[in-house]
Amino acid sequence: MQVLRRILGLREAPPPNEDTLPMGPPPNVAVRSAVGTASQTNATAPLDSYLPNDGRTRNLEQGPVRYSPSPSGSRLIIGQRTDVGQVRDNNQDSMSAFTSSISSSEDKPDFGLFIVADGMGGHEDGEKASGLATRIVTQQVLKNIYLPLLDEGFNADSDMEPMTEVLKKAIQKANENITTQVPDGGTTVTAVAIMGYLAYVAHVGDTRAYMINQEGIEQLTRDHSLVQRLIELGQLTPEEAAEHPQKNVLYRAIGQNDALDVDAITRQVTPGSYILICSDGLWNLVSSDEILSIVLNNGTNTGIAAKTLVDLANERGGSDNITVIIVRIPE
Amino acid sequence: MVDTRQFASNPRKDLLGRDGTLQPNEVLQSRYRVTGVLGVGGMGAVYQARDLQFPEVERYVAIKEMHNLGTDEHLRKINVANFEREANLLATLSHPAIPSIYDYFSIRTDRSYLVMEYINGKDLEAILNTHGETIPIDMVIDWALALTDVLDYLHRHNPPIIFRDVKPANIMIDQYGRLRLIDFGIARQFLAGQKGTMIGTEGYSAPEQYKGEASPASDIYGVGATLHHILTNHDPRLEPPFSFMDRPIREANPEVSAEFEAIILRSLAFDSSQRFKTMGDMRETINGLRQRGKSSLVVVETESDIDEWEAHEASRIETRWKFRVEEEVRSSPLVYHGLLFVGSYDNNLYAINAADGQFKWKYPTEAGISTSPDVSPEDNLVVIGSDDGNVYGIDIRSGRPNWMLTTKAPVRSSPTVAHGHVFVGSDDGILYAARVITGRIAWRYEAGLPIRSKPTVSEDLILFGNKDGDVIATDMSGQMKWRFHTKREVMASPILYDGLVFVGSMDWNFYAIDASNGFLVWRYRTENAIVSSAAVAGGLLVFGSADGNVYAIDPKNGRERWRFKTGGQVTSSPVYANENIYIGGIDGNLYCLDPQNGNMRWKFKTDGKIPGTPFVADGMVYVGSTDHNIYALKA
Repeated sequence: MQVLRRILGLREAPPPNEDTLPMGPPPNVAVRSAVGTASQTNATAPLDSYLPNDGRTRNLEQGPVRYSPSPSGSRLIIGQRTDVGQVRDNNQDSMSAFTSSISSSEDKPDFGLFIVADGMGGHEDGEKASGLATRIVTQQVLKNIYLPLLDEGFNADSDMEPMTEVLKKAIQKANENITTQVPDGGTTVTAVAIMGYLAYVAHVGDTRAYMINQEGIEQLTRDHSLVQRLIELGQLTPEEAAEHPQKNVLYRAIGQNDALDVDAITRQVTPGSYILICSDGLWNLVSSDEILSIVLNNGTNTGIAAKTLVDLANERGGSDNITVIIVRIPE
Repeated sequence: MVDTRQFASNPRKDLLGRDGTLQPNEVLQSRYRVTGVLGVGGMGAVYQARDLQFPEVERYVAIKEMHNLGTDEHLRKINVANFEREANLLATLSHPAIPSIYDYFSIRTDRSYLVMEYINGKDLEAILNTHGETIPIDMVIDWALALTDVLDYLHRHNPPIIFRDVKPANIMIDQYGRLRLIDFGIARQFLAGQKGTMIGTEGYSAPEQYKGEASPASDIYGVGATLHHILTNHDPRLEPPFSFMDRPIREANPEVSAEFEAIILRSLAFDSSQRFKTMGDMRETINGLRQRGKSSLVVVETESDIDEWEAHEASRIETRWKFRVEEEVRSSPLVYHGLLFVGSYDNNLYAINAADGQFKWKYPTEAGISTSPDVSPEDNLVVIGSDDGNVYGIDIRSGRPNWMLTTKAPVRSSPTVAHGHVFVGSDDGILYAARVITGRIAWRYEAGLPIRSKPTVSEDLILFGNKDGDVIATDMSGQMKWRFHTKREVMASPILYDGLVFVGSMDWNFYAIDASNGFLVWRYRTENAIVSSAAVAGGLLVFGSADGNVYAIDPKNGRERWRFKTGGQVTSSPVYANENIYIGGIDGNLYCLDPQNGNMRWKFKTDGKIPGTPFVADGMVYVGSTDHNIYALKA
């Protein structure tokens, strides 16, 4: 039967050796997974409302667009603040915020890059290390992500460096420079790049990034600290960790050794939500529930929210440098 | 082979008189003339000194110096008293691995000194740093036995002595290759409290020690950590704390036997009650391995047990029914309202009663069917593409076609029904969007080269791959939003999850792409082409590769969580249901895997290959095989 059909040319023959990858009729590639194919997710037909039923192809004026650049006037809104606190003599935290929004016929998404670094080490080594980290990561990300974005004819393909790799390498480059230029200093660094409705988060250390929306607050980063590991192993409660004598001990940071493992993740950010980055000077003294309510209560006044948070940490002793960046995603 | 003579120590004369250390030839207590520095620590140094009490011979001692860093005079006195009490305790100990204590003295409350046996040797940390190659297993076993022996001796002391700080730096190997334990916790009380953020952890301490609890079990953890470091030659202080399990010993050092690795892993359990009950138990277990001979310490192949177990497991899988067709089944079945639909290379689309495998109807197309059906519940239609170039909309009840959409080449893209339309690609290079009720074409998207990927349709995006290696995203009107180019054909169906598009390519890579603009977020490389579409299972992306593995990747960062090796290529797409992953293999097996770790729960062997995707419904799993059968198994 099969042979007969093959002779009659009714269909292409199956590959001669099927243990090599079939190049003839494709194996099945249907998706039936927890994600749900569209047939499972939407049985109603919004398409009918704007697809003419005349069997011809035509362009529509406006589809249900979710991923297009936000209309002008609705952009990333930034609030940021850094403070030495009540105890330290110097501010070893560094931060950087870069945003770009281009309104033109070319379909360029809004871009933002936000970095907080918390330095450590005496003799100004801490601030040198955090400053260097902030500057180098900004430079690398703009060079390898932002500027190519502005190139004419920029086209994404499999040869491009993956975005998470660019962020990781930027932080690794900062590590190389700091290891040689500030050998006795170290720093955490948390960098968040936002493009459209996707956030790329890369970090080492315990400077945190949160996502905040009406549903609550979610910590996107995982502290590279001894106490965090102990919490994950069920050996400490978060309350015990907050009082632990070694709560400041990090097992991963810039300036530790040559090989640096960087955590990099991506996260979809919903319209109207917030990304908040802060050093431990804030989260040690202000709970995540308090951060949530202060950010939501201030709406688009992210600058006021940042100031309120820093003031609260100072009222509670300001035992460390306090730095916070709040980014509101356009609706 | 490690030459033990190379462990002989080398006292440093040049460090004397620097950074607060004693001057060369300085004499302490009118008896000990300082001749060199053996080590420098945070609270003082360890010196080599000549004992002038024996002028006729060169008798050397080691003198440990401790600076009292406390500022409060009362506290300093307590420190000195504690030091003297501990020195007295140590002096009563008698074990070949414990250096003899000769003397102690303090200079006011500033400095305290402990005079002990001078060991000509090297500490294990220095050996590991300089040795380079891995240390022979036999030697490690000798050390493990000696270490557990001396710690067992301490634990049996009345009251028990907990060493608290088992690590390579506190273990010396002397010039005769014997293990000696140094640096008893005597110095710890002199450490001043440290402030500010710091980098680095101790690496060898048990989790409970950070709660201030230390027990014999903590020392057992320290032994495990030390052995792990020796065998893997990987310093735990450079890794996240308590992460030994992430660095399998036998991966780094294949000469280690599974039994020896198991002993070390047990001693490293996070929960102290899961470790050995006593140090003596641990020693006896290691000794038992040694007694049973070398075979237990190094790798032995034992395949037969596994085969037997697998045969036993497979027999448990119940076949409810199987349905034989005339040709290979590469299509993936779909069950709707008790009916199973599946295509076959024998040209037919079959409708089979899902409960008992009874034939309901079949519809003959003009050529083989390699695609999988989809249904439109509202219209009671099942949609299928055929190699004859047509897409058919067939009435579920009657098995008769309501409409037929003709393309210019074979249809090897499985149709997707969504938003009242059917989306399907063809080898003619066109993606068709047609009204599902009439089959009338709403629009066409010209991709140029054959489209064999099943389109994925979300609220506002249509995603598919083509033979040119492009992943294409269009909007609902068929306008291209972006295109991402890979180096080979994209046959897999992209999936959309958390703002990202995930898809594998025949260029061996699995890609995560920004759904809004087509930017590459991360890529994961396998060892062969990918035609399997991913599924999300327990928060992980799972897919197969022609390299024979099923992979689970973290969607957030592209890191591999586990992989499962099958006996052949994997072109089937996984299905996640009932907290199981089901996936077929070209080796003929249907696999059921644990999504947490990729462990196999069971497998079921067919007589052909399984290139298609299983379907799970009502506690049953359905799958087609190239042995011409469709199987219904108990999920």
